[in-house]
Amino acid sequence: MKGRKRHGWRRVINGVTISTFVIVVLLAAPLYWLIVSSFKTPEAMGVSPPQYFPSPVSGANYSDAFKQYDFGIYFRNSLIVSLVATALVLIFGTLAGYALARTPMRGKFTTMVTLLMISLFPAIALIAPLYLLMRQVGWLNSYQALIIPYTAFNLPFSIWILRNYMLGIPKEMEETGRIDGASPLRTIWSIILPMALPGVFTAAIFCFTACWTEFLMALTFNDVNTYKTIPVGIATFGTPTLTPYGEIFAASVVAVVPIGILVFIFRKFVVSGLTSGAVKG
Amino acid sequence: MTTISTPVEQAPASAGLEGRPDVNRKRMARLGWAFSAPALIIIAAVTIFPIIYSVAMSLSNVTVSGNGFSLNGFTWSNFSLVLQSPKWHYALGFTLIYTFVTVLAELVLGTLIALVLQRLTAGRGWMMALLLIPWSMITVINAMLWQYIFNGTYGVATDLFGLNNVLGTPTPAIIALMIADIWKTTPFVAIIVLAGLVMLPGDIYEAAEVDGSSGWSTFWRITVPLLRPTLALAVLFRVLQAFGLFDLPYVMTSGGPGTSTNSLAILGYNAMFKNLAFGPGAAVATTTALLVLLGCLISLRAFKVQVGSEGT
Repeated sequence: MKGRKRHGWRRVINGVTISTFVIVVLLAAPLYWLIVSSFKTPEAMGVSPPQYFPSPVSGANYSDAFKQYDFGIYFRNSLIVSLVATALVLIFGTLAGYALARTPMRGKFTTMVTLLMISLFPAIALIAPLYLLMRQVGWLNSYQALIIPYTAFNLPFSIWILRNYMLGIPKEMEETGRIDGASPLRTIWSIILPMALPGVFTAAIFCFTACWTEFLMALTFNDVNTYKTIPVGIATFGTPTLTPYGEIFAASVVAVVPIGILVFIFRKFVVSGLTSGAVKG
Repeated sequence: MTTISTPVEQAPASAGLEGRPDVNRKRMARLGWAFSAPALIIIAAVTIFPIIYSVAMSLSNVTVSGNGFSLNGFTWSNFSLVLQSPKWHYALGFTLIYTFVTVLAELVLGTLIALVLQRLTAGRGWMMALLLIPWSMITVINAMLWQYIFNGTYGVATDLFGLNNVLGTPTPAIIALMIADIWKTTPFVAIIVLAGLVMLPGDIYEAAEVDGSSGWSTFWRITVPLLRPTLALAVLFRVLQAFGLFDLPYVMTSGGPGTSTNSLAILGYNAMFKNLAFGPGAAVATTTALLVLLGCLISLRAFKVQVGSEGT
Protein backbone atom coordinates (compact mmCIF):
# COMPACT_ATOMS: atom_id res chain seq x y z
CA MET A 1 0.00 0.00 0.00
CA LYS A 2 2.73 2.41 1.01
CA GLY A 3 4.75 1.55 -2.06
CA ARG A 4 1.83 2.11 -4.37
CA LYS A 5 1.16 5.49 -2.82
CA ARG A 6 4.74 6.57 -3.40
CA HIS A 7 4.43 5.33 -6.92
CA GLY A 8 1.35 7.56 -7.46
CA TRP A 9 3.17 10.48 -5.96
CA ARG A 10 6.16 10.01 -8.22
CA ARG A 11 3.86 9.85 -11.18
CA VAL A 12 2.73 13.39 -10.49
CA ILE A 13 6.05 14.93 -9.44
CA ASN A 14 8.46 14.07 -12.25
CA GLY A 15 10.76 15.83 -14.68
CA VAL A 16 7.95 16.90 -16.98
CA THR A 17 5.78 18.53 -14.34
CA ILE A 18 8.75 20.25 -12.70
CA SER A 19 9.89 21.61 -16.08
CA THR A 20 6.34 22.69 -16.88
CA PHE A 21 6.17 24.49 -13.56
CA VAL A 22 9.42 26.34 -14.33
CA ILE A 23 8.13 27.32 -17.79
CA VAL A 24 4.86 28.59 -16.33
CA VAL A 25 6.70 30.67 -13.72
CA LEU A 26 9.08 32.21 -16.28
CA LEU A 27 6.24 33.03 -18.66
CA ALA A 28 3.81 34.28 -16.04
CA ALA A 29 6.15 36.27 -13.76
CA PRO A 30 6.41 39.34 -16.06
CA LEU A 31 2.64 39.18 -16.64
CA TYR A 32 2.09 39.02 -12.88
CA TRP A 33 4.28 42.06 -12.49
CA LEU A 34 2.35 43.96 -15.18
CA ILE A 35 -0.99 43.30 -13.49
CA VAL A 36 0.22 43.84 -9.92
CA SER A 37 1.94 47.10 -10.81
CA SER A 38 -1.19 48.44 -12.45
CA PHE A 39 -3.00 48.19 -9.09
CA LYS A 40 -0.36 50.05 -7.05
CA THR A 41 -0.64 53.62 -5.81
CA PRO A 42 1.76 56.17 -7.39
CA GLU A 43 3.84 56.17 -4.18
CA ALA A 44 4.10 52.36 -4.16
CA MET A 45 5.31 52.31 -7.79
CA GLY A 46 8.65 53.89 -6.88
CA VAL A 47 9.33 52.07 -3.62
CA SER A 48 12.61 50.19 -3.20
CA PRO A 49 12.57 47.28 -2.48
CA PRO A 50 9.44 46.87 -4.60
CA GLN A 51 6.14 45.61 -3.16
CA TYR A 52 5.53 42.07 -4.35
CA PHE A 53 1.86 42.45 -3.57
CA PRO A 54 0.15 45.85 -3.82
CA SER A 55 -1.00 47.29 -0.52
CA PRO A 56 -3.26 49.10 -0.68
CA VAL A 57 -4.82 47.80 -3.87
CA SER A 58 -5.79 50.85 -5.89
CA GLY A 59 -7.80 51.31 -9.07
CA ALA A 60 -6.66 54.92 -9.44
CA ASN A 61 -4.31 54.11 -12.35
CA TYR A 62 -7.22 52.77 -14.36
CA SER A 63 -9.40 55.84 -13.95
CA ASP A 64 -6.37 58.12 -14.51
CA ALA A 65 -5.48 56.34 -17.77
CA PHE A 66 -8.90 57.24 -19.11
CA LYS A 67 -9.34 60.66 -17.47
CA GLN A 68 -5.87 62.26 -17.26
CA TYR A 69 -4.56 60.58 -20.38
CA ASP A 70 -6.69 59.96 -23.46
CA PHE A 71 -6.58 56.19 -23.36
CA GLY A 72 -10.27 55.94 -24.28
CA ILE A 73 -9.58 57.76 -27.55
CA TYR A 74 -6.57 55.55 -28.33
CA PHE A 75 -8.59 52.43 -27.63
CA ARG A 76 -11.41 53.56 -29.93
CA ASN A 77 -8.91 54.45 -32.70
CA SER A 78 -7.16 51.07 -32.45
CA LEU A 79 -10.50 49.31 -32.57
CA ILE A 80 -11.71 51.22 -35.66
CA VAL A 81 -8.44 50.86 -37.58
CA SER A 82 -7.98 47.17 -36.74
CA LEU A 83 -11.58 46.15 -37.44
CA VAL A 84 -11.86 47.96 -40.78
CA ALA A 85 -8.45 46.75 -41.98
CA THR A 86 -9.31 43.18 -40.97
CA ALA A 87 -12.64 43.35 -42.83
CA LEU A 88 -10.95 44.63 -45.98
CA VAL A 89 -8.23 42.01 -45.76
CA LEU A 90 -10.81 39.23 -45.45
CA ILE A 91 -12.85 40.45 -48.46
CA PHE A 92 -9.92 41.01 -50.82
CA GLY A 93 -7.97 38.08 -49.41
CA THR A 94 -10.83 35.64 -49.97
CA LEU A 95 -11.22 36.71 -53.59
CA ALA A 96 -7.49 36.55 -54.30
CA GLY A 97 -7.09 33.31 -52.35
CA TYR A 98 -9.84 31.72 -54.42
CA ALA A 99 -8.26 32.95 -57.65
CA LEU A 100 -4.87 31.52 -56.67
CA ALA A 101 -6.29 28.22 -55.46
CA ARG A 102 -8.89 27.53 -58.12
CA THR A 103 -8.50 29.46 -61.38
CA PRO A 104 -5.95 28.59 -64.08
CA MET A 105 -4.46 32.13 -64.08
CA ARG A 106 -0.83 32.26 -65.14
CA GLY A 107 2.07 33.35 -62.96
CA LYS A 108 0.59 31.90 -59.78
CA PHE A 109 3.92 30.71 -58.44
CA THR A 110 5.58 34.09 -59.07
CA THR A 111 2.65 35.87 -57.42
CA MET A 112 2.82 33.66 -54.35
CA VAL A 113 6.58 34.05 -53.89
CA THR A 114 6.38 37.82 -54.46
CA LEU A 115 3.60 38.06 -51.87
CA LEU A 116 5.68 36.08 -49.39
CA MET A 117 8.69 38.34 -49.89
CA ILE A 118 6.60 41.49 -49.59
CA SER A 119 5.18 40.30 -46.29
CA LEU A 120 8.75 40.05 -44.99
CA PHE A 121 9.83 43.47 -46.21
CA PRO A 122 10.88 45.74 -43.33
CA ALA A 123 8.42 48.64 -42.94
CA ILE A 124 11.32 51.06 -42.48
CA ALA A 125 12.12 50.73 -46.20
CA LEU A 126 8.68 52.10 -47.12
CA ILE A 127 8.01 54.59 -44.39
CA ALA A 128 9.45 57.73 -46.02
CA PRO A 129 7.72 57.45 -49.43
CA LEU A 130 4.46 56.47 -47.73
CA TYR A 131 4.77 59.45 -45.40
CA LEU A 132 5.31 61.73 -48.40
CA LEU A 133 2.34 60.19 -50.20
CA MET A 134 0.05 60.58 -47.18
CA ARG A 135 1.17 64.18 -46.81
CA GLN A 136 0.54 64.88 -50.49
CA VAL A 137 -3.05 63.64 -50.35
CA GLY A 138 -3.66 65.17 -46.94
CA TRP A 139 -4.15 61.90 -45.11
CA LEU A 140 -1.70 62.41 -42.25
CA ASN A 141 -3.68 62.05 -39.01
CA SER A 142 -6.62 60.12 -40.35
CA TYR A 143 -7.96 56.58 -40.09
CA GLN A 144 -7.27 55.74 -43.73
CA ALA A 145 -3.58 56.62 -43.22
CA LEU A 146 -3.36 53.39 -41.21
CA ILE A 147 -6.20 51.31 -42.61
CA ILE A 148 -4.81 51.22 -46.15
CA PRO A 149 -1.19 50.31 -45.31
CA TYR A 150 -2.38 47.75 -42.72
CA THR A 151 -4.64 46.18 -45.34
CA ALA A 152 -1.77 45.98 -47.82
CA PHE A 153 0.75 44.58 -45.34
CA ASN A 154 -1.60 41.92 -43.99
CA LEU A 155 -3.06 40.79 -47.30
CA PRO A 156 -0.13 38.58 -48.40
CA PHE A 157 -0.25 36.34 -45.34
CA SER A 158 -4.06 36.14 -45.41
CA ILE A 159 -4.09 35.28 -49.11
CA TRP A 160 -1.54 32.60 -48.37
CA ILE A 161 -3.58 31.06 -45.53
CA LEU A 162 -6.91 31.27 -47.39
CA ARG A 163 -5.45 29.77 -50.56
CA ASN A 164 -4.08 26.83 -48.60
CA TYR A 165 -7.46 26.16 -47.01
CA MET A 166 -9.29 26.47 -50.32
CA LEU A 167 -6.91 23.99 -51.96
CA GLY A 168 -8.17 21.43 -49.48
CA ILE A 169 -11.83 21.82 -50.46
CA PRO A 170 -12.94 19.12 -52.92
CA LYS A 171 -13.56 20.51 -56.41
CA GLU A 172 -16.82 18.57 -56.77
CA MET A 173 -18.38 20.84 -54.16
CA GLU A 174 -18.21 23.94 -56.32
CA GLU A 175 -19.04 22.07 -59.49
CA THR A 176 -22.44 21.16 -58.03
CA GLY A 177 -22.92 24.86 -57.41
CA ARG A 178 -21.90 25.76 -60.91
CA ILE A 179 -24.27 23.28 -62.49
CA ASP A 180 -27.01 24.88 -60.43
CA GLY A 181 -26.12 28.11 -62.22
CA ALA A 182 -24.57 30.00 -59.33
CA SER A 183 -22.17 32.84 -60.23
CA PRO A 184 -18.54 32.57 -59.04
CA LEU A 185 -19.12 35.21 -56.37
CA ARG A 186 -22.16 33.28 -55.16
CA THR A 187 -20.15 30.04 -55.22
CA ILE A 188 -17.46 31.61 -53.06
CA TRP A 189 -20.01 33.06 -50.65
CA SER A 190 -22.21 30.03 -50.14
CA ILE A 191 -19.94 27.05 -50.85
CA ILE A 192 -16.27 27.95 -50.48
CA LEU A 193 -16.44 30.41 -47.58
CA PRO A 194 -18.32 28.15 -45.13
CA MET A 195 -15.81 25.36 -45.79
CA ALA A 196 -12.82 27.68 -45.52
CA LEU A 197 -14.09 29.17 -42.25
CA PRO A 198 -11.12 27.94 -40.15
CA GLY A 199 -8.83 29.72 -42.62
CA VAL A 200 -10.94 32.86 -42.37
CA PHE A 201 -10.71 32.81 -38.56
CA THR A 202 -6.95 32.29 -38.73
CA ALA A 203 -6.45 35.13 -41.21
CA ALA A 204 -8.75 37.39 -39.18
CA ILE A 205 -7.01 36.87 -35.87
CA PHE A 206 -3.52 37.30 -37.36
CA CYS A 207 -4.55 40.45 -39.18
CA PHE A 208 -6.30 41.94 -36.13
CA THR A 209 -3.34 41.20 -33.86
CA ALA A 210 -0.88 42.71 -36.35
CA CYS A 211 -2.96 45.91 -36.67
CA TRP A 212 -3.50 46.11 -32.90
CA THR A 213 0.25 45.94 -32.20
CA GLU A 214 1.73 47.91 -35.16
CA PHE A 215 3.91 50.81 -34.04
CA LEU A 216 6.21 52.32 -36.70
CA MET A 217 3.58 53.49 -39.19
CA ALA A 218 1.16 54.58 -36.48
CA LEU A 219 3.97 56.62 -34.90
CA THR A 220 4.93 58.27 -38.18
CA PHE A 221 1.55 58.96 -39.78
CA ASN A 222 -0.73 59.80 -36.85
CA ASP A 223 0.90 62.01 -34.22
CA VAL A 224 -2.16 64.03 -33.18
CA ASN A 225 -3.87 62.81 -30.01
CA THR A 226 -7.27 62.29 -31.63
CA TYR A 227 -5.85 59.76 -34.12
CA LYS A 228 -3.18 57.96 -32.08
CA THR A 229 -3.55 54.22 -31.63
CA ILE A 230 -2.84 52.31 -28.40
CA PRO A 231 0.88 51.51 -28.99
CA VAL A 232 1.71 55.12 -29.86
CA GLY A 233 -0.51 56.45 -27.10
CA ILE A 234 1.15 54.26 -24.48
CA ALA A 235 4.64 55.08 -25.76
CA THR A 236 3.93 58.82 -25.47
CA PHE A 237 2.18 58.81 -22.05
CA GLY A 238 3.87 61.28 -19.76
CA THR A 239 6.84 63.53 -20.43
CA PRO A 240 10.51 62.92 -21.32
CA THR A 241 11.43 63.21 -17.63
CA LEU A 242 8.54 61.29 -16.11
CA THR A 243 7.17 57.91 -17.19
CA PRO A 244 3.80 57.27 -15.47
CA TYR A 245 4.25 53.50 -15.19
CA GLY A 246 1.09 53.01 -13.14
CA GLU A 247 -1.20 54.50 -15.77
CA ILE A 248 0.81 52.84 -18.56
CA PHE A 249 0.37 49.39 -17.02
CA ALA A 250 -3.33 49.97 -16.32
CA ALA A 251 -3.79 50.93 -19.96
CA SER A 252 -1.67 47.93 -20.99
CA VAL A 253 -3.85 45.49 -19.07
CA VAL A 254 -6.92 46.97 -20.76
CA ALA A 255 -5.18 46.67 -24.15
CA VAL A 256 -4.00 43.09 -23.55
CA VAL A 257 -7.33 41.72 -22.27
CA PRO A 258 -9.44 41.88 -25.48
CA ILE A 259 -6.72 40.40 -27.64
CA GLY A 260 -5.97 37.85 -24.93
CA ILE A 261 -9.61 36.72 -24.85
CA LEU A 262 -9.74 36.60 -28.64
CA VAL A 263 -6.55 34.56 -28.86
CA PHE A 264 -7.73 32.25 -26.08
CA ILE A 265 -11.07 31.53 -27.78
CA PHE A 266 -9.52 31.07 -31.21
CA ARG A 267 -6.25 29.45 -30.08
CA LYS A 268 -6.83 26.44 -32.32
CA PHE A 269 -6.85 28.71 -35.35
CA VAL A 270 -3.87 30.73 -34.18
CA VAL A 271 -1.83 27.56 -33.78
CA SER A 272 -2.89 26.27 -37.18
CA GLY A 273 -1.98 29.64 -38.71
CA LEU A 274 1.43 29.65 -37.04
CA THR A 275 2.17 26.17 -38.26
CA SER A 276 0.76 26.31 -41.78
CA GLY A 277 2.29 29.66 -42.63
CA ALA A 278 4.98 30.14 -40.02
CA VAL A 279 5.20 33.63 -41.48
CA LYS A 280 4.41 36.02 -38.68
CA GLY A 281 6.11 36.32 -35.35
CA MET B 1 -18.95 43.85 -61.00
CA THR B 2 -20.51 43.57 -64.44
CA THR B 3 -17.27 42.42 -66.01
CA ILE B 4 -17.05 39.72 -63.43
CA SER B 5 -20.56 38.42 -63.88
CA THR B 6 -20.77 38.54 -67.69
CA PRO B 7 -18.78 35.37 -68.42
CA VAL B 8 -20.61 33.75 -65.60
CA GLU B 9 -23.95 33.70 -67.35
CA GLN B 10 -22.67 31.20 -69.87
CA ALA B 11 -20.41 29.41 -67.44
CA PRO B 12 -22.87 26.73 -66.31
CA ALA B 13 -23.27 25.43 -69.84
CA SER B 14 -19.57 24.76 -70.34
CA ALA B 15 -18.20 24.48 -66.81
CA GLY B 16 -19.18 21.08 -65.47
CA LEU B 17 -18.99 19.49 -68.89
CA GLU B 18 -15.86 18.79 -70.88
CA GLY B 19 -17.35 20.47 -73.97
CA ARG B 20 -15.16 23.53 -74.57
CA PRO B 21 -12.35 23.31 -72.06
CA ASP B 22 -10.14 25.92 -73.77
CA VAL B 23 -12.72 28.69 -73.76
CA ASN B 24 -13.72 27.86 -70.25
CA ARG B 25 -10.11 27.84 -69.12
CA LYS B 26 -9.51 31.27 -70.58
CA ARG B 27 -12.60 32.64 -68.92
CA MET B 28 -11.62 31.20 -65.58
CA ALA B 29 -8.12 32.65 -65.91
CA ARG B 30 -9.57 36.08 -66.61
CA LEU B 31 -11.86 35.65 -63.64
CA GLY B 32 -8.81 34.81 -61.55
CA TRP B 33 -7.12 38.07 -62.43
CA ALA B 34 -10.33 40.01 -61.84
CA PHE B 35 -10.66 38.49 -58.38
CA SER B 36 -7.00 39.09 -57.49
CA ALA B 37 -6.92 42.63 -58.85
CA PRO B 38 -8.17 44.54 -55.78
CA ALA B 39 -5.70 42.79 -53.48
CA LEU B 40 -2.77 43.06 -55.88
CA ILE B 41 -3.44 46.73 -56.62
CA ILE B 42 -3.54 47.70 -52.95
CA ILE B 43 -0.39 45.70 -52.22
CA ALA B 44 1.43 47.24 -55.19
CA ALA B 45 0.33 50.78 -54.30
CA VAL B 46 1.47 50.52 -50.70
CA THR B 47 4.60 48.41 -51.09
CA ILE B 48 6.05 48.12 -54.58
CA PHE B 49 5.77 51.75 -55.73
CA PRO B 50 7.11 53.14 -52.44
CA ILE B 51 10.04 50.70 -52.65
CA ILE B 52 10.91 52.11 -56.07
CA TYR B 53 10.52 55.67 -54.81
CA SER B 54 12.67 54.85 -51.78
CA VAL B 55 15.47 53.62 -54.05
CA ALA B 56 15.15 56.76 -56.18
CA MET B 57 15.31 58.90 -53.06
CA SER B 58 18.46 57.19 -51.83
CA LEU B 59 20.12 57.93 -55.20
CA SER B 60 19.17 61.62 -55.28
CA ASN B 61 20.07 64.92 -53.70
CA VAL B 62 17.03 65.40 -51.49
CA THR B 63 16.18 68.94 -50.49
CA VAL B 64 13.67 69.44 -47.72
CA SER B 65 11.52 72.53 -47.89
CA GLY B 66 8.60 73.66 -45.77
CA ASN B 67 6.19 71.92 -48.10
CA GLY B 68 7.70 68.49 -48.60
CA PHE B 69 10.86 67.34 -50.29
CA SER B 70 12.12 67.27 -53.84
CA LEU B 71 14.65 65.08 -55.60
CA ASN B 72 17.34 66.98 -57.50
CA GLY B 73 19.75 65.01 -59.60
CA PHE B 74 21.43 61.62 -59.34
CA THR B 75 24.13 61.00 -56.76
CA TRP B 76 25.94 58.16 -55.03
CA SER B 77 26.79 60.41 -52.10
CA ASN B 78 24.02 59.12 -49.81
CA PHE B 79 25.32 55.58 -50.08
CA SER B 80 28.98 56.51 -49.74
CA LEU B 81 28.09 58.63 -46.72
CA VAL B 82 26.20 55.75 -45.11
CA LEU B 83 28.68 53.01 -46.00
CA GLN B 84 31.56 55.00 -44.50
CA SER B 85 29.69 56.08 -41.41
CA PRO B 86 30.83 54.45 -38.14
CA LYS B 87 27.25 54.82 -36.87
CA TRP B 88 26.01 52.61 -39.70
CA HIS B 89 28.77 50.08 -39.07
CA TYR B 90 27.77 49.94 -35.41
CA ALA B 91 24.03 49.65 -36.18
CA LEU B 92 24.71 46.86 -38.70
CA GLY B 93 26.88 45.00 -36.21
CA PHE B 94 24.37 45.49 -33.41
CA THR B 95 21.47 44.29 -35.58
CA LEU B 96 23.44 41.23 -36.74
CA ILE B 97 24.57 40.20 -33.24
CA TYR B 98 21.15 40.90 -31.77
CA THR B 99 19.49 38.79 -34.47
CA PHE B 100 21.96 35.94 -34.06
CA VAL B 101 21.76 35.73 -30.26
CA THR B 102 17.99 36.14 -29.93
CA VAL B 103 17.09 33.72 -32.73
CA LEU B 104 19.54 31.10 -31.43
CA ALA B 105 18.27 31.43 -27.86
CA GLU B 106 14.64 31.34 -29.00
CA LEU B 107 15.32 28.24 -31.07
CA VAL B 108 17.03 26.33 -28.24
CA LEU B 109 14.58 27.37 -25.51
CA GLY B 110 11.58 26.98 -27.81
CA THR B 111 12.62 23.42 -28.67
CA LEU B 112 13.13 22.57 -24.99
CA ILE B 113 9.68 23.92 -24.11
CA ALA B 114 8.12 22.01 -27.00
CA LEU B 115 9.79 18.76 -25.86
CA VAL B 116 8.40 19.24 -22.35
CA LEU B 117 4.90 20.10 -23.57
CA GLN B 118 4.90 17.09 -25.89
CA ARG B 119 5.25 14.85 -22.81
CA LEU B 120 2.61 16.76 -20.89
CA THR B 121 -0.54 14.65 -20.59
CA ALA B 122 -2.98 17.17 -19.12
CA GLY B 123 -3.40 20.92 -19.48
CA ARG B 124 -1.69 21.33 -22.83
CA GLY B 125 -4.51 23.61 -24.02
CA TRP B 126 -3.94 25.93 -21.07
CA MET B 127 -0.20 25.97 -21.75
CA MET B 128 -0.92 26.92 -25.37
CA ALA B 129 -3.06 29.81 -24.18
CA LEU B 130 -0.29 30.96 -21.85
CA LEU B 131 2.27 30.71 -24.67
CA LEU B 132 0.08 32.84 -26.91
CA ILE B 133 -0.19 35.78 -24.51
CA PRO B 134 3.41 37.04 -24.99
CA TRP B 135 3.05 36.41 -28.71
CA SER B 136 -0.06 38.61 -28.97
CA MET B 137 1.25 41.36 -26.69
CA ILE B 138 1.93 44.83 -28.08
CA THR B 139 5.73 45.21 -28.29
CA VAL B 140 5.50 48.73 -26.86
CA ILE B 141 3.88 47.28 -23.71
CA ASN B 142 6.56 44.59 -23.52
CA ALA B 143 9.21 47.34 -23.78
CA MET B 144 7.60 49.44 -21.01
CA LEU B 145 7.22 46.40 -18.76
CA TRP B 146 10.86 45.34 -19.03
CA GLN B 147 12.03 48.94 -18.72
CA TYR B 148 10.21 49.03 -15.37
CA ILE B 149 11.56 45.61 -14.35
CA PHE B 150 15.13 46.74 -15.05
CA ASN B 151 14.70 50.23 -13.58
CA GLY B 152 17.90 51.24 -11.78
CA THR B 153 16.28 52.33 -8.50
CA TYR B 154 13.01 50.46 -8.04
CA GLY B 155 13.10 47.71 -10.68
CA VAL B 156 12.21 44.25 -9.43
CA ALA B 157 15.15 42.61 -11.27
CA THR B 158 17.47 45.20 -9.77
CA ASP B 159 16.22 44.23 -6.32
CA LEU B 160 16.12 40.44 -6.82
CA PHE B 161 19.48 40.01 -8.53
CA GLY B 162 21.38 42.96 -7.06
CA LEU B 163 21.80 44.62 -10.44
CA ASN B 164 22.93 48.18 -10.92
CA ASN B 165 21.59 50.63 -13.51
CA VAL B 166 21.15 48.00 -16.23
CA LEU B 167 19.63 50.22 -18.91
CA GLY B 168 22.22 52.95 -18.35
CA THR B 169 25.21 50.78 -19.30
CA PRO B 170 25.68 49.64 -22.93
CA THR B 171 26.30 45.89 -22.66
CA PRO B 172 23.78 45.16 -19.88
CA ALA B 173 21.22 47.28 -21.76
CA ILE B 174 21.70 45.14 -24.86
CA ILE B 175 21.32 41.96 -22.78
CA ALA B 176 18.14 43.35 -21.18
CA LEU B 177 16.70 44.04 -24.64
CA MET B 178 17.54 40.50 -25.69
CA ILE B 179 15.83 39.07 -22.59
CA ALA B 180 12.67 41.08 -23.34
CA ASP B 181 12.71 39.83 -26.94
CA ILE B 182 13.38 36.22 -25.96
CA TRP B 183 10.55 36.28 -23.40
CA LYS B 184 8.10 37.53 -26.04
CA THR B 185 9.15 35.37 -29.00
CA THR B 186 10.29 32.01 -27.56
CA PRO B 187 6.64 30.90 -27.12
CA PHE B 188 6.09 31.46 -30.85
CA VAL B 189 8.99 29.15 -31.70
CA ALA B 190 7.82 26.62 -29.10
CA ILE B 191 4.37 26.38 -30.70
CA ILE B 192 5.83 25.82 -34.16
CA VAL B 193 8.25 23.16 -32.94
CA LEU B 194 5.53 21.45 -30.90
CA ALA B 195 3.28 21.25 -33.96
CA GLY B 196 6.20 19.76 -35.90
CA LEU B 197 6.87 17.21 -33.13
CA VAL B 198 3.25 16.09 -33.00
CA MET B 199 3.27 15.41 -36.74
CA LEU B 200 6.38 13.18 -36.64
CA PRO B 201 5.67 9.51 -37.36
CA GLY B 202 5.59 7.49 -34.14
CA ASP B 203 6.83 4.18 -35.57
CA ILE B 204 10.32 5.58 -36.18
CA TYR B 205 10.63 6.17 -32.45
CA GLU B 206 9.46 2.67 -31.68
CA ALA B 207 12.10 1.31 -34.07
CA ALA B 208 14.74 3.48 -32.42
CA GLU B 209 13.71 2.19 -29.01
CA VAL B 210 13.91 -1.40 -30.21
CA ASP B 211 17.39 -0.69 -31.54
CA GLY B 212 18.32 0.51 -28.05
CA SER B 213 18.94 4.09 -29.05
CA SER B 214 19.28 6.44 -26.07
CA GLY B 215 17.02 9.47 -25.71
CA TRP B 216 19.84 11.86 -26.49
CA SER B 217 20.92 10.18 -29.71
CA THR B 218 17.31 9.62 -30.79
CA PHE B 219 16.80 13.37 -30.44
CA TRP B 220 19.86 14.28 -32.52
CA ARG B 221 19.60 11.50 -35.10
CA ILE B 222 15.85 11.35 -35.63
CA THR B 223 13.96 14.31 -34.18
CA VAL B 224 16.27 17.10 -35.35
CA PRO B 225 16.68 15.91 -38.96
CA LEU B 226 12.92 15.34 -39.31
CA LEU B 227 12.14 18.72 -37.83
CA ARG B 228 14.70 20.54 -39.95
CA PRO B 229 12.31 21.84 -42.65
CA THR B 230 9.94 23.26 -40.01
CA LEU B 231 12.81 24.78 -38.07
CA ALA B 232 14.58 26.20 -41.13
CA LEU B 233 11.53 28.12 -42.28
CA ALA B 234 10.74 29.43 -38.80
CA VAL B 235 14.34 30.55 -38.30
CA LEU B 236 14.46 32.19 -41.72
CA PHE B 237 11.35 34.23 -41.03
CA ARG B 238 12.54 35.20 -37.55
CA VAL B 239 15.94 36.30 -38.91
CA LEU B 240 14.46 38.42 -41.68
CA GLN B 241 11.97 39.92 -39.25
CA ALA B 242 14.59 40.70 -36.63
CA PHE B 243 16.40 42.75 -39.28
CA GLY B 244 13.62 45.32 -39.11
CA LEU B 245 14.02 45.60 -35.30
CA PHE B 246 12.53 48.92 -34.23
CA ASP B 247 9.75 48.99 -31.58
CA LEU B 248 11.57 47.33 -28.69
CA PRO B 249 14.79 49.41 -28.54
CA TYR B 250 12.96 52.58 -29.63
CA VAL B 251 10.72 52.44 -26.56
CA MET B 252 12.73 50.44 -23.99
CA THR B 253 16.11 52.16 -24.32
CA SER B 254 15.44 54.93 -26.90
CA GLY B 255 18.41 53.53 -28.79
CA GLY B 256 20.61 54.31 -25.78
CA PRO B 257 22.52 54.67 -23.60
CA GLY B 258 24.18 56.93 -26.16
CA THR B 259 23.69 55.11 -29.44
CA SER B 260 24.50 51.63 -28.14
CA THR B 261 21.14 50.06 -29.02
CA ASN B 262 20.59 51.83 -32.35
CA SER B 263 19.34 49.21 -34.81
CA LEU B 264 19.41 49.80 -38.57
CA ALA B 265 15.72 50.74 -38.53
CA ILE B 266 16.17 53.23 -35.67
CA LEU B 267 19.19 54.76 -37.41
CA GLY B 268 17.18 55.20 -40.61
CA TYR B 269 14.12 56.50 -38.78
CA ASN B 270 16.08 59.08 -36.80
CA ALA B 271 17.98 60.21 -39.89
CA MET B 272 14.73 60.77 -41.78
CA PHE B 273 12.27 62.00 -39.19
CA LYS B 274 14.49 63.58 -36.52
CA ASN B 275 17.35 65.06 -38.60
CA LEU B 276 15.31 65.40 -41.81
CA ALA B 277 18.24 63.85 -43.71
CA PHE B 278 15.95 61.98 -46.09
CA GLY B 279 18.64 61.04 -48.62
CA PRO B 280 20.96 59.25 -46.17
CA GLY B 281 17.95 57.91 -44.26
CA ALA B 282 16.57 56.39 -47.44
CA ALA B 283 20.02 54.92 -48.13
CA VAL B 284 19.97 53.21 -44.71
CA ALA B 285 16.43 51.94 -45.36
CA THR B 286 17.34 50.73 -48.86
CA THR B 287 20.47 48.89 -47.74
CA THR B 288 18.46 47.21 -44.97
CA ALA B 289 15.82 46.16 -47.49
CA LEU B 290 18.54 44.93 -49.87
CA LEU B 291 20.02 42.77 -47.13
CA VAL B 292 16.59 41.28 -46.45
CA LEU B 293 15.99 40.73 -50.15
CA LEU B 294 19.38 39.04 -50.44
CA GLY B 295 18.39 36.75 -47.59
CA CYS B 296 15.13 35.98 -49.41
CA LEU B 297 16.87 35.18 -52.69
CA ILE B 298 19.44 32.97 -51.00
CA SER B 299 16.61 31.02 -49.40
CA LEU B 300 14.38 30.99 -52.47
CA ARG B 301 14.80 27.24 -52.54
CA ALA B 302 13.15 27.03 -49.15
CA PHE B 303 10.23 29.09 -50.48
CA LYS B 304 9.95 26.81 -53.49
CA VAL B 305 9.75 23.82 -51.22
CA GLN B 306 7.01 25.54 -49.23
CA VAL B 307 4.97 26.62 -52.27
CA GLY B 308 5.53 23.35 -54.07
CA SER B 309 4.57 21.18 -51.14
CA GLU B 310 1.15 22.85 -51.06
CA GLY B 311 0.53 21.50 -54.52
CA THR B 312 0.68 24.46 -56.93
